[in-house]
Amino acid sequence: MEKELHVLDLTIEEIHSHLLNGDVKVSDLVKKAIERVKKDEFNAFEAYNFEEALKEAEELDKEEVPSDNLLFGIPYICKDNLSTKGIETTGGSNILNGYIPLFDATVVTILKEKKAVLIAKATLDELAMGGSGKSGHKGIQLNPYDENKESLIGGSSSGSAVAVASSVTPFALGSDTGDSIRKPASFGGLVGYKPTYGLISRFGLYPFSVSLDHVGYFTRSVDDAALLFDTLNKFDENDFTSSIKERKAIYPIKNNEKRKICVIKEVIDSIKDEDILSRFNYLVENLKKEGYLVDYVSVDPSILKAIYPAYIIISSAEATSNNANLDGIKFGNLKEGNSYPEVMFNTRNEGFSELIKRRFILGSYALMSENQEEVYLKAKKVRRVVVNTFNELFEKYDAFIGPASPTVAPKINQASDNFDDTYLIADNYLAIGNFGGYPSITIPLGIKDDKMPFGVSITSPIFKDEDTFIIAKDCENILKMKNLSTKTKSIILKNMKEAQ
Amino acid sequence: MKEVNKNVLKDAALRLMFDMKDEEYETLLNEFDIIIKQLVLMDEIKGLNDIEPMSFPYIDESFNLLRDDEEIKETLLNKEEVLNIAKNTKEGQIKLPKVVN
Repeated sequence: MEKELHVLDLTIEEIHSHLLNGDVKVSDLVKKAIERVKKDEFNAFEAYNFEEALKEAEELDKEEVPSDNLLFGIPYICKDNLSTKGIETTGGSNILNGYIPLFDATVVTILKEKKAVLIAKATLDELAMGGSGKSGHKGIQLNPYDENKESLIGGSSSGSAVAVASSVTPFALGSDTGDSIRKPASFGGLVGYKPTYGLISRFGLYPFSVSLDHVGYFTRSVDDAALLFDTLNKFDENDFTSSIKERKAIYPIKNNEKRKICVIKEVIDSIKDEDILSRFNYLVENLKKEGYLVDYVSVDPSILKAIYPAYIIISSAEATSNNANLDGIKFGNLKEGNSYPEVMFNTRNEGFSELIKRRFILGSYALMSENQEEVYLKAKKVRRVVVNTFNELFEKYDAFIGPASPTVAPKINQASDNFDDTYLIADNYLAIGNFGGYPSITIPLGIKDDKMPFGVSITSPIFKDEDTFIIAKDCENILKMKNLSTKTKSIILKNMKEAQ
Repeated sequence: MKEVNKNVLKDAALRLMFDMKDEEYETLLNEFDIIIKQLVLMDEIKGLNDIEPMSFPYIDESFNLLRDDEEIKETLLNKEEVLNIAKNTKEGQIKLPKVVN
């Protein structure tokens, strides 16, 4: 580990100040980021953009740094299920080996216009299905906080989370269908954000489950997340679910007004880790001191326990249909055969891993005519009940908050009980944000035994993204964990201890 | 609900244009055991039958569901770029393997 901090270890805002002062050049940042990608020990990357990034950096070195574009020259990483023109984009699946998109995802185009510099593509769970960071064709992504390399970072945005947690870049793009940004953000001590459904374009995102998929990102500070939100929160005529609502800038984040938030009792009751609970209580007590009204409210446990089964059915059913285009003819790494069906069969049979095949079969089972009512439509009814329940809560509260995960990052082969409340409620309730399209953020909450981080999640009503950021910033101020990474951990631990 | 057994799952797999090894079907059957039990949890919600299924997080006037009927002046794909990334090309076109006898 490098002993001294590099400018790249700072937040986007701070790096921008250094660029503005001329203490550092874009090419210094890009070279450092490339060096760190090359030294990656956690299996985070798919494809590299080194040559192009260095060329861009040299050009940017010649330009005056604009004071009103904080993303100028900032290196970043992009999840490999977002199309990048000219750069192989496999979605972590063998079926797309060798596929080079002809266009950029809209979010990538916007960042290019802002002159942020793409360094590499981050690996993921295959086609973003799976929450472990174990299922992609590159193998397992390890948690950079575990020196013994025995813990997971979580998925599906596993590589993006590793990149920001190990300070390869100050931000990375990801996608979130159930909690695929917000859960790895918890295990990696990061800020992980997914917006209101319809605000950030999904054009160029490989669809997994279109009614649940969101594009979002990881940063190391709430301010950085807010400035990225303003950058990416744009109408896109190429995305049919892009909202035409007028956009409003939210960065810099406003000061707190008195806010009302709630905590779901059943989520707290289903968490056993005393360190997580005690740190969460510390946060709640301090929010109250800051003038927040915090209520503990009860939600019918039968509704909370039905979230995971409804999620797995809806997402698998949509995935089955969304990935039908991967047939070796339209898309995919074609495997020869004597007939069109044989080409399709061989391509799909060799291209998909076992896990993906199992998800597709489950999705197909849910869609069988005999099961439509009993399985698929029932899951969609549960979705409405969940959303109605939380919309009702949002009539009284600006947000609900709770630990983003019931534990720190799991070990590689750690099994969980599929039926206990910890799994069914605390481990899966973040999908509420996807069911309802709510803006939702994870920020670092604590560090267990001074080793492994864990996060807190804040979720607000649709189109109230600004509230999410305001509350998150207040929490960040209390928790003193801004800009946590493996490089800054010792400094952050010192700050936390002084504050407590 | 349709009974779950290896034949039903294999039939689904073949319709999805892939197959799995015998031991992989065993893993899937075990997974289905768990999922079917988890699905029962959805029945615990009272009054579910009277609820309309929900397909999208919200539907309102803010979605860009239909575009104006305007002429598209630029096509998304550039022919040269397309040909550059194709594995096999002939006379300015992408060559696919023969699949019709």
